Amino acid sequence: MLRLTPRRRRNPRGHTPVGVVAVGAMLVASWTSVAGPTTAIQDLDKLSLAELAKITVTSVSKTPEKLAEAPASIYVITHDEIMRSGARTIPEMLRLAPNLEVFQRSPSQYVITARGFAGAPGGLQNLSNKLLVLIDGRSVYNPLFSGMYWEMQDVIPADIKRIEVISGPGAALWGANAVNGVINIVTRSSDETQGGLLTAGYGNQRSVVSWRYGGRINGHTTYRLYAKTFHDNAFDAADGSSARDGSSKPQVGFRLDWRRGRDQVRLEGDLFQGSQNQGPAPNQFISGGNLQTRWLRTFADGSSLRLLAYFDRVHRMAEPHEGGFTIHTADVELQHDFLLGQDHHVTWGVGARRYRYAITNAISPAATFAFVPSRFTSDVVNAFVQDQMALGSQLNLTLGLKAENDPSSGTSWLPNVRLSWNPAKGALLWGAVSRAIRAPTPLDTQVVEKIGAQLILAGNPDFSSEKLTAYELGYRQQLGSHVLLSVSVFDNYYDDLHTVEPLTTTVFPLEFGNGMRGHVYGVEAWATYQATSWWRLSAGVYLQHRNFKFKPGASGIAGLAQAGDDPGHHSFIRSSFDFSDHWSLHVDARAMDALPDPHVPGYVELNTHINWRVNSNLTLLLSGYNLLHAWHLEYPYGDRIPRTAYLQAQVSY
Amino acid sequence: MRLGSHWRRRLTSALTALSLCVAGAAWAQPAPATLEYAIKATYLYKLIPFVEWPPSAFASRSAPFLICVVGDNPFDGYLSQAVAGRRFGTHPFAVRNLRTLEGKPGCRIVFISGLHDARLRQALAAVAGRPVLTVTDSTIDSDAPSVVHFMIEKRHVRFEIDLGAAARNDLKLSSKLLHLAVTVRH
Repeated sequence: MLRLTPRRRRNPRGHTPVGVVAVGAMLVASWTSVAGPTTAIQDLDKLSLAELAKITVTSVSKTPEKLAEAPASIYVITHDEIMRSGARTIPEMLRLAPNLEVFQRSPSQYVITARGFAGAPGGLQNLSNKLLVLIDGRSVYNPLFSGMYWEMQDVIPADIKRIEVISGPGAALWGANAVNGVINIVTRSSDETQGGLLTAGYGNQRSVVSWRYGGRINGHTTYRLYAKTFHDNAFDAADGSSARDGSSKPQVGFRLDWRRGRDQVRLEGDLFQGSQNQGPAPNQFISGGNLQTRWLRTFADGSSLRLLAYFDRVHRMAEPHEGGFTIHTADVELQHDFLLGQDHHVTWGVGARRYRYAITNAISPAATFAFVPSRFTSDVVNAFVQDQMALGSQLNLTLGLKAENDPSSGTSWLPNVRLSWNPAKGALLWGAVSRAIRAPTPLDTQVVEKIGAQLILAGNPDFSSEKLTAYELGYRQQLGSHVLLSVSVFDNYYDDLHTVEPLTTTVFPLEFGNGMRGHVYGVEAWATYQATSWWRLSAGVYLQHRNFKFKPGASGIAGLAQAGDDPGHHSFIRSSFDFSDHWSLHVDARAMDALPDPHVPGYVELNTHINWRVNSNLTLLLSGYNLLHAWHLEYPYGDRIPRTAYLQAQVSY
Repeated sequence: MRLGSHWRRRLTSALTALSLCVAGAAWAQPAPATLEYAIKATYLYKLIPFVEWPPSAFASRSAPFLICVVGDNPFDGYLSQAVAGRRFGTHPFAVRNLRTLEGKPGCRIVFISGLHDARLRQALAAVAGRPVLTVTDSTIDSDAPSVVHFMIEKRHVRFEIDLGAAARNDLKLSSKLLHLAVTVRH
């Protein structure tokens, strides 16, 4: 295993991304004045429908109303934003969300979290595990440790409708693991992705080929098919040697949509198989597939009923059979919402999920990493109810309660109360108190780690859930049609946090315990300013302060650093220029504070994307990633993240 | 703990900023109709020649052609001014802002903004099967189909059409209108 102490590098925070962007903006402004023909409102009456469709509007992109009114810290990454950002993978798209922390570890591996808990790498199996991630309602975090293998999830960027990023607990509606946040990836319906789309991209780090075709079977039924593959070249390890961690992954899939009258049915599936080199460690083979269906019926009284069912298989194996797992997930969920009188919107639902684990333990005379037992099944059932109440015309109260039962922690009650106030049109002040848990996983309860014959680490069958009580306050406002502003503050109290404790009076073996409490508070703020019809600026900042202490009786043997290696702040500024219908430029600067322990220096980096729409069928994209430095580090024991260039052609037909 | 108090100060100033924002919002004037909504309002009455209502839609030759705006009114009077004094055939235009569609107000076009989920579906259901052109706003993400749904595509105001919703409300749409739609659902 790689244990490299990152060298301390010159702190590059002397650069001012604001300055870079501003100078760029002025240069651009000096040679272009492509605001387009401005149309006065009083002239609209003279125009035909076709002419109305050609007028450029300058409003900031809006989120769907129900999300704009959500009393939560929510950022919506829109389809348009994904397209202009040139993002190729889900983690690259998630860098657009100001309320997430994104750390790249290798060409395809990332750690992503909200409000802290990025994990504490260093052999004690302390992983980032407090997010719920959904693709079209299918939960994709790995239940073995409640964390993400981001490299196993892929969607063609052009097929994404939006990504809803909710920071803060979403347990009442979304369920366990929605502790620090929820990432909800929503793909476009197949009737929105008709026709062919061929994408080929090549760069010094990554090459991608993808094809999608959408068609219509009859008046009620549309479909799309896709196939894609990518290849990532290896990065350098922190010491400058090759990390030998390239990867590739072909993937195919489909989506079928049928709608008739009050019914809509959707069927979708994906299949992938890939491999990842891991430097001196054995190569990993990954594969998986899923099939999902959703039926939605809407009724004349406004109520709706949705039934979601899916089957998912994921497999990872180190070659040749040095350990891995196969997990089969079967899930069925029913949700019903209706209006009760004029003032109550009630949503309730039930769900059941079965995980079937088949783990191949890595056992050798030198080292053992095993789960005992290695084959088992676990069932999770839940029920929830939520009432959104209108208290007068400006005030809304949401009460939610979810009960979730899992085999290791029994029944957990997850309540939340949210109050929102619309003091004026386009303004929303909200506050919330909620409780969430991160339920025990097989990694907490069943793991056995040995070096030679010495037991190093053992799972603890009595490990209890990590618990959060969160207090949040937020404000969002649209100022005119040109500015959107969002500020949220949070005060999170954690209990029974994951620690390692000596099992006996000697240091080893260790076992997992719940020996820590924590208090994390912070601010998330972001704003978008549509300066002119062709120039959009956005900026965001995230600040957090973390305070952890061991509970009475805890050993503190691994130190407070086991709470996670989190930055104190990060921020971004982005500028999008639409010079004409053919040319656009997107400049994205981000700054990340140093990580404390293990130390990783802070950094400032810049991505730039130039889009050239040659004609209605062909678009070229030139991207530069991390342009300010030859390389920087983002995560402990992670690779040097290099400066890269990428050229892509996209043909639609 | 010095760091802690420093952060507490930051948090306090953030909270102060927040409360100032709120105070500001409470004083904020409603925004005037934007170009985007002026375009949407213009579409609303310019769509009319491309839609065929059944003769039963009008009680008499002089019955008004009622355009109803349900939920918020994002047009800020623009729509009323734009259609003032105009007629559709023999029917003079009238604009009404409504909170709900209960009581069958006789709208021929219903534009819905500011309602979502169950309330939106309820509003659409209230006029389903009646000769009403339902139009929803670009900011609505709806599972319930309206006949015309505005969308913003590449900074232009465009629309989608649902022919099933049109057929249920006994409306015929001209092929020219379908040709201008970004998506036509059947």
